[in-house]
Amino acid sequence: MKEVIIEGLRQAYSNLVRMFAEFLPRLLVMLVIVVVGLIVAYLLKTILRAVLHVTRLDRLSEEAGASRFLRMAALPSMTELLSRSLFWVTWSGFILIGISVLGVAGLQEQISRLFLLLPAIFVAILILFLGLVTANFLSRAALLAAVNAGYPSPKLLSWSIRFVIWALAVSMALEQVGVARQTVLAAFSIVFGAFMFGMALAFGLGGRELAREFLERNLTEKKREKHEEPQPL
Amino acid sequence: MAEESFLADDFLRQLMSVGEVDLLVGIPSYNNASTLGQTLQSVEESLLQNFVRERAAILNVDGGSTDETLQVFEQSAEQRGASHKGLTSLRTIHRISCQYDKSPSQGWALRNIVAAADLLRARACAVISPATANVTPLWVANLLRPVHREGLDFVAPLYVRSRFQGLLARDLLYPMTRAVFGQRIRELYADEWGFSGRLASQCLEKDVWHEEPVRVRPQAWMAITAIGGGLKCGQYFLGPKGAAPAGTGPDIVEAIRQTVGNFFWCMETNQAYWLSRSNSQPVSTFGPDHELSSDGIPPSPEKIFELFRTGVTELEPILASILAPDTHAQIKAIALSDRTKFHFAMELWVKTLYEFAASYHHTVLNRDHLVQALVPLYRGKLYSFLLEHANSSGEEMEAQSEILCQEFERQKPYLVERWTAKS
Repeated sequence: MKEVIIEGLRQAYSNLVRMFAEFLPRLLVMLVIVVVGLIVAYLLKTILRAVLHVTRLDRLSEEAGASRFLRMAALPSMTELLSRSLFWVTWSGFILIGISVLGVAGLQEQISRLFLLLPAIFVAILILFLGLVTANFLSRAALLAAVNAGYPSPKLLSWSIRFVIWALAVSMALEQVGVARQTVLAAFSIVFGAFMFGMALAFGLGGRELAREFLERNLTEKKREKHEEPQPL
Repeated sequence: MAEESFLADDFLRQLMSVGEVDLLVGIPSYNNASTLGQTLQSVEESLLQNFVRERAAILNVDGGSTDETLQVFEQSAEQRGASHKGLTSLRTIHRISCQYDKSPSQGWALRNIVAAADLLRARACAVISPATANVTPLWVANLLRPVHREGLDFVAPLYVRSRFQGLLARDLLYPMTRAVFGQRIRELYADEWGFSGRLASQCLEKDVWHEEPVRVRPQAWMAITAIGGGLKCGQYFLGPKGAAPAGTGPDIVEAIRQTVGNFFWCMETNQAYWLSRSNSQPVSTFGPDHELSSDGIPPSPEKIFELFRTGVTELEPILASILAPDTHAQIKAIALSDRTKFHFAMELWVKTLYEFAASYHHTVLNRDHLVQALVPLYRGKLYSFLLEHANSSGEEMEAQSEILCQEFERQKPYLVERWTAKS
């Protein structure tokens, strides 16, 4: 009995030693991969930051109004944000490769799935960024045009345009990542449809008089109002 | 030659058959069938009366008219001689026409004219707009003569204006151009002007013809190119300019986008010239340097004030990103003031414009949006002007305009400071 126990313990000990002997080199390889990844990620971040400085992305971002939103969200400049994102994405990739080297059962499949998702996440971030820039640009253009033409509620018009573009960008980004595709599609259709239906009801039924006035002013009185102002040149 | 790449073959053939000329009159047209005949007659009479010995050519550059403009030009060539009351030239007056494949653009039209001037080695050129209803033979001669005989390189027109006409030019464009570029040229955005072959060649070499400001309003750019190149500029008094018929011409928003946007762009591209200069110099002026007629009824300004007030409120975040906090606060304060006692102070107006120009330079937001954000503030200044000068005479208005010009010059160091500040 005693010998069996001692034999069992010896077996367990030798298994543990063998496992450690097998695991330690893998751990070492993982650490090497992680350190190399850190260096590569840092280099890529520095290169991207330099390239973006040369291309004056921050100025473009400022011009498009995206920087203001980044500041509101206490985020760094666009150049800094993109270069830091690249750093973390690259390093995360190396860390995942390192973890897969450990050969822990069950982790391999999850890591493969994450890898497959990375390009989609990138595209989704790009869609969100473009949506943000487009929404800002178009809503500001609409606000300026409405204010200068003397239309009522210019901010409402501006925010409506911003909202529609944001909704479109968010739903496109979520669909890209594959998060609850059907739900997102249905939610977007419902929100967008409800918005348009609400506008149609408000304008067509609730605001019949306003709609008539609006059309009359635009089709008949606008030209007259325009010339109430003296000839500028 | 660079210009050969955009000139049509047929146009080049016409130019080669003409050879060389002393004078070239360019007429950019777009659906001007109703007025082109009269303009052509004035131009031809002017050449016959005033430049008998000079070789001359009239060039019609059309932006793709859909009416009978081209036929009018061709027919007028056939009919000429019959209506010239016995006037004869010692040389043939050539007529050339071309159509460019782009949408109508003053810049494209001018590019064809300066290319033709360069190829024909014209000494003096004039651009005459067929949209101006009252062009006389004397106008054409007065734009060509200072270039041809006095050696000037750019001649701007001077017009008699009614008291409430051309206020954008009087309150903004003229004083700011004068303070920034140091030359007192009043009408930089006119539809008629004269220039030398030398200036034409210099302009042709510039790689800016595709730039929006040059495509839309090339006149001021041409004048500023002359100023920057150290060429001689002047202005000639032409007389009254007929007001554009109601419904034509740009409204305030469009006029500001075209002219102020163009001017800021010229400031940007010529900053090496103006940043180190101060004060202004008068240019050679033929005839009186201004004339305001006392006619003209002040427009009803209530709507203008409402648009100013709404603009200041609704565009608050945009204005905050363009203006200095103190300037913005002052504008918000006057927007809340009583309409009947409203006053947009001269110092504030100049400061506002200089901050807009500097923000344009630093691209704090999309440049076209930035220029559009100026519209409500201009309306505020306009309202203040109309309120103060409803009963003023032309002389009083002119005196006030001169004080404004001096204020622009006084505050120029502030513009330079904002312009050169790190963004």
